[in-house]
Amino acid sequence: MTRYDAIVIGAGHNGLAAAGLLARGGRTVLVVEKNDVLGGAAAGYEIAPGFRAPRFAHLLHAWHPQVERQLDLAAHGLAFARRDLATLSLADDGNHTIIERGEARLAAGNSLPDAAAFAALHRRLQRFAGVLAGKLLQVPPRLESPDWRDLAGLAKLGLDLRRLGAADAREFLRVLLSNAHDVVLDEIADGPLAGALALDAVMGGHSGPRSPGSALTLLYRLAQGGGRHLPKGGMAAFVGALAEAAQSRGAEIRRNAAVEAVLVENDRVIGIRLADGEAMKAPLVLSSLDAQTTLRLTGVEHFDAEAVRRIRHVRCKGVTAKVNLALSALPRFDGIGEDLLGGRLLLTPSVQALETAFDATKYGELPACPALEVLIPSLADPSLVDGSGHVMSIVVQYAPYHLKGGWNDAARSRLAATVLDLLERHAPGLRDLIVAQDVLTPLDIERETGASGGHWHHGELSVDQMLTLRPVNGLARYALPVGGLYLCGAAAHPGGDIIGAAGHNAARLAMKDWALLEERVA
Amino acid sequence: MSARNAGRYDVIVVGAGHNGLTAACYLAKRGLKTLVVERNDWIGGAAVSRELYEGWTYSNCSYVCSLLRPEVVRDLDLPRHGLQVIPYESGATFTDDGGYFAYYSDHDALRREISRFSRRDADNYERYARAVMRQCRFIKPLLMRTAPDPASNRPRDLAELLYLGRRFHDLGEREMGETIRFWTMSIGEFLDEYFETEVIKAHFAGSGIIGTGLGVYSPGTAYVLLHHYMGEVDGTIGAWGFTRGGMGGVTQAMASALTEAGGEIRAGSGVAEILAKNGKTTGVVLENGDLLEAPTVISNMDVRRTFLNHVDQKELPDDFTKAVKRFKIRGSSAKLNIALDGFPSFPAAPAGAPFLKGDLHASQSLEELERAYDDWKAGRWSAEPYFDMLIPTCIDPTMAPPGKHMMTVFVQYAPYALASGEPWDGPARDALAETVIAKIARHSPDFRDLILHKEVRTPWDIEHEVGLTEGNIFQGELTFDQMFFNRPVPGYADYRSPIKGLYLCGSSSHPGGGVMAAPGANAAREVLRDLGFKSAATSAERAA
Amino acid sequence: MTAGFLDRPILEPVAAATPMVPRGLVPSPFDARLRPLNLHQDWMPWAGHLSARRFDSVEAEYFAIRNQATLFDISPMHKYRVTGPDAERVMNRLMTRDVRKIAPGRVGYSLWCDEDGFVIDDGTLFRLGRDDFRLCCQEPQLGWLSDVAWGFDVTLREETEEIAGLSLQGPTSFAVLEAAGLGQLAALKPFGVAKVDDGLTVSRTGFTGDLGYELWVPAGRAIALWDRLWAAGHDFGLRPIGYAALDMARIEAGFVVCGVDFKSIHAAVRPTRGRTPFELDAARLVDFDKGHFNGRRALLQHAKEGPRYKLVALEVEGNKAPHAAFVYHRKKTEAGHITSTLWSPTCKRNIALAMLQAPYGVDITGDLWVEIYHDKEGKWERIMAKAWLTERPFFRHRRRSLTPPARL
Repeated sequence: MTRYDAIVIGAGHNGLAAAGLLARGGRTVLVVEKNDVLGGAAAGYEIAPGFRAPRFAHLLHAWHPQVERQLDLAAHGLAFARRDLATLSLADDGNHTIIERGEARLAAGNSLPDAAAFAALHRRLQRFAGVLAGKLLQVPPRLESPDWRDLAGLAKLGLDLRRLGAADAREFLRVLLSNAHDVVLDEIADGPLAGALALDAVMGGHSGPRSPGSALTLLYRLAQGGGRHLPKGGMAAFVGALAEAAQSRGAEIRRNAAVEAVLVENDRVIGIRLADGEAMKAPLVLSSLDAQTTLRLTGVEHFDAEAVRRIRHVRCKGVTAKVNLALSALPRFDGIGEDLLGGRLLLTPSVQALETAFDATKYGELPACPALEVLIPSLADPSLVDGSGHVMSIVVQYAPYHLKGGWNDAARSRLAATVLDLLERHAPGLRDLIVAQDVLTPLDIERETGASGGHWHHGELSVDQMLTLRPVNGLARYALPVGGLYLCGAAAHPGGDIIGAAGHNAARLAMKDWALLEERVA
Repeated sequence: MSARNAGRYDVIVVGAGHNGLTAACYLAKRGLKTLVVERNDWIGGAAVSRELYEGWTYSNCSYVCSLLRPEVVRDLDLPRHGLQVIPYESGATFTDDGGYFAYYSDHDALRREISRFSRRDADNYERYARAVMRQCRFIKPLLMRTAPDPASNRPRDLAELLYLGRRFHDLGEREMGETIRFWTMSIGEFLDEYFETEVIKAHFAGSGIIGTGLGVYSPGTAYVLLHHYMGEVDGTIGAWGFTRGGMGGVTQAMASALTEAGGEIRAGSGVAEILAKNGKTTGVVLENGDLLEAPTVISNMDVRRTFLNHVDQKELPDDFTKAVKRFKIRGSSAKLNIALDGFPSFPAAPAGAPFLKGDLHASQSLEELERAYDDWKAGRWSAEPYFDMLIPTCIDPTMAPPGKHMMTVFVQYAPYALASGEPWDGPARDALAETVIAKIARHSPDFRDLILHKEVRTPWDIEHEVGLTEGNIFQGELTFDQMFFNRPVPGYADYRSPIKGLYLCGSSSHPGGGVMAAPGANAAREVLRDLGFKSAATSAERAA
Repeated sequence: MTAGFLDRPILEPVAAATPMVPRGLVPSPFDARLRPLNLHQDWMPWAGHLSARRFDSVEAEYFAIRNQATLFDISPMHKYRVTGPDAERVMNRLMTRDVRKIAPGRVGYSLWCDEDGFVIDDGTLFRLGRDDFRLCCQEPQLGWLSDVAWGFDVTLREETEEIAGLSLQGPTSFAVLEAAGLGQLAALKPFGVAKVDDGLTVSRTGFTGDLGYELWVPAGRAIALWDRLWAAGHDFGLRPIGYAALDMARIEAGFVVCGVDFKSIHAAVRPTRGRTPFELDAARLVDFDKGHFNGRRALLQHAKEGPRYKLVALEVEGNKAPHAAFVYHRKKTEAGHITSTLWSPTCKRNIALAMLQAPYGVDITGDLWVEIYHDKEGKWERIMAKAWLTERPFFRHRRRSLTPPARL
């Protein structure tokens, strides 16, 4: 039987990051991936011959620079086609708003009444987010008997808070648990600009702008500076660089290798067994899968009933779908020049509209007007398309996993039609350009990436499932109760989005435990 | 307006609600010359008993009692002044299939009742009750304490923060986590973790939304449930009761205690302006032109009404005014008070069903409740409203003539302003009432015919009569960005304001709404502190 | 005579579709027989059921346990049936002891813990078949069992109301069985369980430290069982007993009761107020070698750290039992409190179970005192009585384990 120091389950960005860091630390590492394509939710693919599109996630906006440095991704081929994409929030009346580096202006050039208020709000939120930023690469603290590192972390948080000054510190503590609707609309009028900010707060989550706690997710998103970047060669190239970084340090990656079970003996992992029956041994197993899937693979019997109950109740109702298009030519958007089309287009006319769209999903219905985040990555990166066409990648915020009547072909067509109708309001004739189209529902996302509920974040990012409560109370420090078993994906702190921090933190912890173990053996 | 000097006091309390009266009592008991001024001809604010139909007494705002702090009841000796609270023992939710789920305070009966739907739920109810009880235990000592300012370096704030930190730490790691979860979860998701039966979840979920602009799936509503559970009647945590003679019994007892302590009440003219000069308050001018002087003014009005309507804006820092404007006071509740010619029949209820003497509901699922909330968000009253309906005359014979009954129906949700632009004081009010009556009549066919008189109170009506902004019963949303040290405004959670001598004592302040009297008692404690009173004379003063 | 006021008709209310669940206490399946025998109508609540505290005289009932044979209605006990291919795994996951070692036809006493290693409840596990268990316990457990069984192939079924139970205890209990026509049970060993037929299962179990049996029947057959035993018991001094007498016997036998001697962690408002099996002096019931079970990791930690409390057996001087008393070390430092006690008519001394706080009962075991208040002919007195650790059980008769059983 093959033996490794560590096995990483899942070749998503977190799994690959963890593998790269473990390999960098001198461990022999195997990554097993059930799909043929690497990347998980960050994978790229060919939507039609010659058209390369991001399958699910299509942007890097929170990718942690420290992880990037430690893995030296640039040396492994990571480059950016465009950094700090501008956001264009479309208005039905054609008065589109451009948001760039924390400033907003109207696309038409005339002045935006809320420009100053928005800039001030953005600056303030950015400042608050800075307090949280330091937490991303830290293991959530033990609250009861903290060690010096936990205490130092908590003390630093307190210090950062005080450094804000009394007025800002108070405001931070108020905003922290508030909701995006109030935080945004207290400062600026409702409309495409407010809608854009609110969409950032709820993207990927089963929550509406009025849901208390949605302000925190907004801060979370801003914690990494809020810049959005397009990797050169698409998400596939980003994943390629991650894989290359791991492999160059000796990590092995097996594709089409679905894990059937995590093997446990005497309360410690000893390896894994693949669906084809092949077993591999390793004293460390890091799972980048969500908590529920990891529990299932490991076996309920190795967990206390309370832990099982908590994991069962992790909220992971996916609400985000994807529509990918291969286009024969660049679509024409009314009143928008090509330079702006290369950025991030948002169809989120107002906070109110976003809330209304969310309301439908609560009851398993498809909203009439979901919010859209649209990207045409081939504009900035022509290498994505052989020839003259383009690819368009559309994130659809709110399409419920539990759709009433189920996700049958009719429902899929309805989703596609809804999305295309919304887009054609601004880009008439878009339909005629379509060479190929893919509709990926939360159910598809679950099927392909394994994420329970098709949830982008492997579990709702809400206060009750964050930090010391992620994925569940009592299991927040990456290590699961079975010795040598770790969560290293979005299910663990700091959660979803393509950050790489969970992989980083888990790998670091696993290596520390390994060192202790070796010491004990010696 | 030419003001006519009408007296000089040590302390003037604006508003004779339960919190204003409580604060006044504590101060008068310490020998301060205390005056309470009240806009209405009657006193009590939202804790009143009023005869609006001959022979019937309506608790036409708040209608049941549980949260009233026992410390206050003891300190002010309210039972001697006539207060009596009688717990009710059960309640029920009617379902459209002609059935019901009953809640019995008899533990064995409740187990059997829940088991009728699910035996697992019956067991899990115990786990649920324990989880809520643990949270009650945690929060109770905080109610009668002043929240610290986390950004301050004053020894007092630091000491209080340390106290909180230690208390939190004492919970143990897992309970700390559970506490954070509980405080930030939605009541719907919290209940989903315990129960599998929809009507049982719906029955318990009501307490998570009463009075709020939140839905059962809005994070933070589990806390709202706690807010309704943390009270007690004679030591039974979570019990609710009727005040004999209606909720006015609470404020009448307080008024009696106040008068006995030498305090004075002037009803019939509201405050036009709270006077302030050079950052200090000097008294108030009433709408009738009376000028009343005092170095200390305590406002029982909500924070927005106090500072935006009755204080010269020039005396307030801009940041403060902005924060006050931002404070969310969203009207979401309506009320029907009904005089009945007899006891309405509920065909679903078996003969002698004790739950008819308790709180009755007809919302059968969390989805129904959530949709009711969505209506409100869209500026409509709920097509299928949640209601908390009681017939206090089952227990309290003083509220109506023998054989006749009084019914109080608390309705969730009704917006303060209708999206249609229609005013509330027209056909809309009757249409709202009809929605509610029709829903009740689905479960009580003879109910409609028994109605002798009804009073319909929309958020607009509540605002106009009681003075609660937008008719919000808590004087401000109970969301975590407006709780504890954030209530009402960060940096001003200690009942003080930028104007020296001007204090808040209403539910806009910590620990928030309900007929609790804790804000009033806490504010009085802070006033006494500022006035240099050293020794603690009462338990509320000792509390922090 | 013309119809008077009292003869006027009263309007009958119309019956509702859903009748009300019974409120208050509900009768047991044996009620028709128990009620006439209960001369004092002295009942107490037990899991929502009417349970006799005494029938006639507590003293006479107690001595019947030690001298003749007694019947005690145990129907209110919570009973759960766990069946299916994973039944053994689930029970082993639940229990702290190794359930695999309980063979079909055997009964095991065990306790079970939460994730922190604190005891949830204790009970008897009847292994009726390879994949068929019945769990009898004090507190409702369906919710907990569902949690423990999640992800396993088992069927859980609550049998509390379906199955009636009767405890037949005392030196002549086998003689009663034999007279009733159940002589074939002579071969049944202590902690054995045998199915007599579809309607009757008998186990050699009990709570008294003496010979005794528990008989289980479908609730509809309860009266038939009672009548058969009652008729057979006539010559063997059989009498019904209430909880008061049984409680005396169970303390003598050294059994602990959940809710009395310790609090279930599931009933504790303060999570740290739970007790581990070690603290309940039940280390023998914890098997770390059987693989993972609920609370195992926490219990390993507890085993390493040592107990915070210790349930001990005490003997107390004098003849006043120390009810609700504090235990002191050197007459001044509080060391714990008494949880159960009586003046034992059989042992002729004060015996008690006490919960001591470490180091008392663990490292410090001498110089213990209990504070007793009592009304001495109209004058209240406070006694500091010397107490010392002793062994549990306080009483156990050889008869308890003799097979075939004694008839007297």
